[in-house]
Amino acid sequence: MKPSLSIRQLTKQFDSNLVLKGIDLEVAAGRFVVLLGPSGCGKSTLLRTIAGISDPSSGGIWLKDRRIDAMPPEQRNFGLVFQTYALFPHMSVEKNVAFGLEMRRVNKRDIAHRVAAALELVGLADYAKRLPKQLSGGQQQRVALARAIVIEPDVLLFDEPLSNLDAKLRDTLRDDLRALQQKLGVTSIYVTHDQSEAMALGDEIVVMKNGEIVERGTPIDLYRRPAYRFTAEFLGMTNVIEAKLRDRACQLPWGDVRELENPSERDVEGVAIRPEDLAIEAVETDHHGVVEQAMFMGAATHYWIRAAGKTLRAITSGGRTAILPVGQKVRLVPPPMLHLLRAHHPLQEVAA
Amino acid sequence: MSGSPRARRNQALIGFGLYAYLALTLAFPVAIVALWAFYDPAVGWFPPDIIPRSFSLSAWREVLADRNVLPAAALSLFVSVVVTVLTGSLAFPTAWALAQFPFRLKRLVEIFVLAPVIVPGIVVAVSLGEIFFRFGLAGTVLGVILVQIVGTLPFMIRILTATIEGIPRELIYAARTLGASPFVAVTRIALPLAWPGFAAGGLLTFIASFEEFEKSFMVGAPKVRTLAVQLWSYLGGEVLVLPTAAVVTLILLTPMLVIFVLAERIGKDDVMAAGLGKL
Repeated sequence: MKPSLSIRQLTKQFDSNLVLKGIDLEVAAGRFVVLLGPSGCGKSTLLRTIAGISDPSSGGIWLKDRRIDAMPPEQRNFGLVFQTYALFPHMSVEKNVAFGLEMRRVNKRDIAHRVAAALELVGLADYAKRLPKQLSGGQQQRVALARAIVIEPDVLLFDEPLSNLDAKLRDTLRDDLRALQQKLGVTSIYVTHDQSEAMALGDEIVVMKNGEIVERGTPIDLYRRPAYRFTAEFLGMTNVIEAKLRDRACQLPWGDVRELENPSERDVEGVAIRPEDLAIEAVETDHHGVVEQAMFMGAATHYWIRAAGKTLRAITSGGRTAILPVGQKVRLVPPPMLHLLRAHHPLQEVAA
Repeated sequence: MSGSPRARRNQALIGFGLYAYLALTLAFPVAIVALWAFYDPAVGWFPPDIIPRSFSLSAWREVLADRNVLPAAALSLFVSVVVTVLTGSLAFPTAWALAQFPFRLKRLVEIFVLAPVIVPGIVVAVSLGEIFFRFGLAGTVLGVILVQIVGTLPFMIRILTATIEGIPRELIYAARTLGASPFVAVTRIALPLAWPGFAAGGLLTFIASFEEFEKSFMVGAPKVRTLAVQLWSYLGGEVLVLPTAAVVTLILLTPMLVIFVLAERIGKDDVMAAGLGKL
C-alpha cells in the first residue's frame, strides 16, 4: 500500500541531548502502527512532533505528497488522544466533541449530526450534556476519542491513552479501540510502553530505544523472530542462552544440539527460547536442572529452573492435579529450531 | 461527622483561635472606628468609659456637607473600574508568557514585574509624578488611571501567572490539533479557565485602586481628586482629628465589604485561595 505518512531523518535535540536520532518511518494508509519502547526512548516526542506540538530539529515529515513538518498543528488535520484525556473542563461532552468541527466552520446542523454520530460510536450517546468531571476515566477517554475522530483526521495519534485507567477498563477500551479503528480504517500511530497492548492493537510494532528505531514488524514476527535481544526481552519474557555455535546448529549448555533458523547471523548475543517453548520433564537421574520456584497461575504454571548456572523460565499449561515441587530434578526440552539474537548498538557508539 | 473526641476538640480550638484572631485584627479596630465616628463632641469620650456616653452625627455632617464628596466618589468608582479592566487586559499576556514559556532570564523578568511593589509607594509616587508632569498627564484622569495601574499590575500578573500555570498544557495542545489557532486556543480555552484568577485579581485591583492615595495625589491633585484623596484632606493637617478620620475610614471600608460579600456569593471558596495561594 502507498505510504500515508513518511518521516525522514527526523532529529530532535533538547539542549545538548539528542532525543530523536534520525528517525526514518513509513506508515501505510489505514495501518495501525504502535511505537513501543521504555520510557525516555523518544516515542512520545516522535508522536508530538508528528502532531506538530513539538518542532523537529532537522528532518522532514510528509503526509502523502505534502510536506507538513513546518505546518502549525491546526493545519495538519490529525486527531490526538492524550494520556490525561485533555477534555476541556468548562465545556459539556457535546461541546468538547463539537470543538474541532466549529474550528472547521462546519454548519450547525451538520455539527449536531456528526457529534451525535461520534458519541453513538463510542457508546456515550446519553452523556452529551454532562461535564467531563461527571464522567469516569474510561468515559472521559471515550469522549476524547470521539473528539479526535469526529474531525475525520488523516491520521489518528494516541499518546499512551490507556495508561491512566485501571486494568479491567483498560482491556475493554483497548478492544473497543481496535474494533473502532478497523471499522473506520484510519491510519493510526499509537505510543505505549506496554508490550501486551502493543501486540493486541498493532498491525505493526516499531520498537524504539534511546531515540532510535531498533526494529519493526508484525507482532508475530517480532515475537517469534526478533533480530535483536532488546526486542526479544522487551516483547514478553524470554530466556537468552549462550550456546556454542556449530555451523548450522548450536549446542545448549546442558548438551542438547538444535538447528538454527538464522545461522548466518553476526554479532550474536545468544539464542532465544520463549518460556512457553521450553518444556520440562520430571526425572530422577540425568537431570539438567532443578525447580527453584513454581507458581500456579490458573491458565498456566510458571517455573523458575536453575540450570547451567542460570535461572531459566518455563511456562506450561496449568497443572490439572498438581505442579512440580520446588527442588524437583527436571530435564529441559527445547524446541526443535532455535533463533539467534543480535546485539543492538546505539548509534552514538557506532559513530565513536 | 469524622474524628475522635480529641480531633474534634482540636478542631474547636483551631476554630476558636481563628475567630479570635479575626476579632482582634478586624472586628475590634472597626468597632473602635465606628464608635469614634458617632461620638458626640459636645459630651466627649474620656476614660474610664468603655463606650461614649452620647452619640451624634456631627462628624458625618461635617464630611458629607462638603459638596466635593459625591463627585469624588463617582470619579473614584469610574477610575477603579477602568483600572481594573485595563490591569486585567494588560496583565494577561505577560502572565501567559511567564506561565507558558520557559525562557532565559525569566527570574529577572519576574523580579522586574514585582519591582513596583518592593519600592515604597511614596518613592514611586514622587518620581512618577515628575515624569507624568512632563508628559502633560499631571492633573488628568488618564494620568491617575495610568499611575494606579503601575501599582496594581504586579499583583494581577502574579495572580494570573499562578492561575495559568494550573491550566494543563495538553488542553491548549488538544485545541491546537483540533484546528484552533493560538489566538483561538487562548480565547476559547485559556481565558475561561483563568476566570478564578481574574476574579481574585480583579477584586484586589479594585480595592487597591479605590483606596490608593499617594500616586493619585501626586499625579492628580489638585485638579483630579479621587475619593481617597478628598477624604485624606479631612484628616487634619498637623493633628489627627479622630472623629473625622473615623468617618473617612468607614466610608472607604464600605465598598470593600460590599465587594467581599459579593465575591463570596459569586465565586466558590477556592476563588480567592486559587489566586492568593502563590502570592
